[in-house]
Amino acid sequence: MLLEFDVNGIKRKLDVDPEMRLIDILRDKLGLKGTKEGCGEGECGACTVIIDSVAVNSCLVLAIQARDKQIITIEGLEKDGELDLLQKTFINQGAVQCGYCTPGMLMSCKALLMQNTNPTEKEIRLAISGNLCRCTGYTKIIRAVREAVETGGMQNG
Amino acid sequence: MDQKLKYIGKYIPIHDAKEKVSGKIVYVGDMELHGMLHAKLVLSPIAHGRIKHINISKAEALPGVIAVFNYKNSPEILYNAHKWIEGIEVIRDERLFTSHVRFFGDRIAAVVAESKEIAEKAANLIEVEYEELPVILDPEIAKKADSYPIHPDGNHFFSKEIKCGNPDEKMKEGFLTIEDRIETPKTHHAAMETHACIADTDQIGNITVYTPCQVIFQVQLIVSEALKIPRNKIRVIKTTTGGSFGGKGQPILEPIAAFLSYTLKRPVKLVLDRTEEIIATRTRTKTIGTVQTAVDKEGNIIARDIHMLVDAGAYTTNGEAIAVAMGKKTFKLYRIYDQRYVAEAVYTNTLIAGACRGYGSPQIHSVTEINLDNVAKALHMDPVEFRLKNLVHPYDKDPTGGPELGNARIIDCVKKGRELFEWDKKYSRPKQAGRYARGVGMACGAHGNGYFGAYPDFITLSLRINEEGTAVLKGAFHDVGCGTNMTMMQIVAEVLDLDVSKIYIPATDTLVSPFDSAGTQASRVTFVCGGAAKKVAEQVRAKLIAYGAKVLDCMEADVVLEDGYVWDCNSIDLKISYGELAVITQKRYSEEMGATMTYQSPGNPTSYGAHFVEVEVDTMTGRVKILAYLAVHDLGKAINSGFVEGQIQGAVQMGIGMALSEEITFDSKGKVTAGRFSRYHVINAPDMPEVQVELIERLEDLGPFGAKSIGEAATVPTAPAIINAINHALDVNLTVLPALPDRIMDAIKSKTKERV
Repeated sequence: MLLEFDVNGIKRKLDVDPEMRLIDILRDKLGLKGTKEGCGEGECGACTVIIDSVAVNSCLVLAIQARDKQIITIEGLEKDGELDLLQKTFINQGAVQCGYCTPGMLMSCKALLMQNTNPTEKEIRLAISGNLCRCTGYTKIIRAVREAVETGGMQNG
Repeated sequence: MDQKLKYIGKYIPIHDAKEKVSGKIVYVGDMELHGMLHAKLVLSPIAHGRIKHINISKAEALPGVIAVFNYKNSPEILYNAHKWIEGIEVIRDERLFTSHVRFFGDRIAAVVAESKEIAEKAANLIEVEYEELPVILDPEIAKKADSYPIHPDGNHFFSKEIKCGNPDEKMKEGFLTIEDRIETPKTHHAAMETHACIADTDQIGNITVYTPCQVIFQVQLIVSEALKIPRNKIRVIKTTTGGSFGGKGQPILEPIAAFLSYTLKRPVKLVLDRTEEIIATRTRTKTIGTVQTAVDKEGNIIARDIHMLVDAGAYTTNGEAIAVAMGKKTFKLYRIYDQRYVAEAVYTNTLIAGACRGYGSPQIHSVTEINLDNVAKALHMDPVEFRLKNLVHPYDKDPTGGPELGNARIIDCVKKGRELFEWDKKYSRPKQAGRYARGVGMACGAHGNGYFGAYPDFITLSLRINEEGTAVLKGAFHDVGCGTNMTMMQIVAEVLDLDVSKIYIPATDTLVSPFDSAGTQASRVTFVCGGAAKKVAEQVRAKLIAYGAKVLDCMEADVVLEDGYVWDCNSIDLKISYGELAVITQKRYSEEMGATMTYQSPGNPTSYGAHFVEVEVDTMTGRVKILAYLAVHDLGKAINSGFVEGQIQGAVQMGIGMALSEEITFDSKGKVTAGRFSRYHVINAPDMPEVQVELIERLEDLGPFGAKSIGEAATVPTAPAIINAINHALDVNLTVLPALPDRIMDAIKSKTKERV
């Protein structure tokens, strides 16, 4: 099938098998290797991308479902060589250890902040409930989101 | 170093943080080599049997399939992937592909194809007919002399006794003796990056292996042994590691990928999916521990007898080493002068055990620390008070003659924790009636710092200041995500007084990294490798001072080194950079501003920790909620405070899993029933408490800047602290970990029955 969609602001046209998983399209067809696979069944969240402002496990999305959608991957967060605020706060707070869950974690957090500019701690925990991290115990990830909310708020104000 | 520390103790982000948050970092699974083939393993669907027939013709016929390998066309050489350095005696019982499958997940074959899709498809076309053999899942059955042998010499392959004093005699003198039997589960490491590996072979048969490993020289050794290829023809390059926790310690995929590539003379990539990762790599060793502790009326422990049954799974790997390692810990936490530790290790038709964060410490401490709470309860003593009476003091000796404990500050940990957690108030709070029962628990733990006293423990490092004034530190460091590289950089930065951003650590590579005896194992990295980094930096610092004095024409005592510049304290106007000094030194004295040296570990002190936890148990469902968590650790000195906090918080997450939710389960025929994350429950963010971290930084004499280990030590007290809290909340005695809701409900029901 012909897949037309928008990835990180770039219109793409690809000829793919309609049953190909989105994660494979991103990684193998577009070379966007920042999106990781950790379980292949939507339990670990390492493959999370944003589709039309919603965080989605790209291992559970088929090519046909990605048609005409706007997709943001980890590679799309950095703008003009500058890291997104969340990426910076992840570094500041030590929310990154091995880094393998980090892209998916960041996309879940980004999607949360796109929908809710001032989430509570409970909302943050819920937003990343589908993203497993074995290194951090999540605390520093939650602090990073909080710092982004506070800094972002200050920037806006 | 008397002056204020500039880099040590600070949080500085992990060296590759920017690449990691931007998705640019390359893990081995992201690598593509020209002409690369893809391999897929075929794993045993039964727990025990012999292959009668294997039909690979359909797989071979599939277009795009390059080759299929199994026991018929692969080396028969036996090896033990646990062996990390020449000179260690091991039982060799593993081979690349087997005809005698010993567990659900044993390796039968590998398909190599032009794409991963074709390889997967072909793997499913392989037909195998088995002669099924009796399946032994229970280590207590395996222990029996007449159990069906999984290996030719029987299932009971190791026993060991470690003893001090006269426990049999002393045990009789006890005012009371409490015995417990505690089971700990087989668990999955759950690094988010699954095992993966690429091997590439050139025209003359040199193999390069790219792998997220913990010990490059171990990978080289095992590939060499398994393939009978000289070590000099094998180059191992460590790739960015997406978590390991011990799971990537033993080379599992590396000898296979190397064999496939060596045979086909093309690059081959092998990546496991999560199910393969769970069943066909390694697990935390399951144990069944029985312990008897005798105390006097005042609550002094007078004797203890511990027996651990170690379930190694289907192959030996580190079954012997872990049985011994667990025992050593039991002599380093309490002042017990009459104690016996006996371990027996057996094979079962279950997943292979291996190293897993703590290397047996979380298991042995689960057994002993749950028992100690039961002793305190029988004595009607506060468990904190009871422990304080018995814990080791700084500079106590190991009663078995093992390495000295060093500046052991476990008492400080417990006292600090008691105060911060408001233990006294929480522990004595009257129990509320109703559906939700609250309780508090605590536990202590001890863990080592390297191999001193047991195995060779040394590392060679090379540090050089470049002509531009930056420094390069070459060494076989294996950063698995916990910040090893930055830890080393901070140590070097502190000694040289050079900004941390100017220190560079190149990739870890057997071809260029100087030798290291043991890699990221045994909690040795900060203490041993960090000690080495400090020493080599001190040698370079001495050179900066010596040549600085010559060049500046002043006394060495007057040379000042600061922030990459050197000057004479009497003439502050002339400052030359380290780079300029290096150039002048080369030009005038034919000497480089660098040093290479081998550092031998000076000791093996013990790291300690005490965890305090408050739980709420739903007595209708058996679900446990953690309300508060405090971890207090004696780690000497935090080199990087942020990393240390992160290590502890992550370690607690792993320990909570061991206590409450993580268990690899099997059906009656040995088929794994928890082979996916939907059936194997790693603690997620909503269930994870905020872990409060408190550090006791009383400086270990032998550690770099006073530092000791933390990453493994931090997961040791977690599970028993939680079980103790549940036992406190419900007034029960849970003996099987994890405390799943049904096990908790059973405990509640049996308690109710007792009362009736």
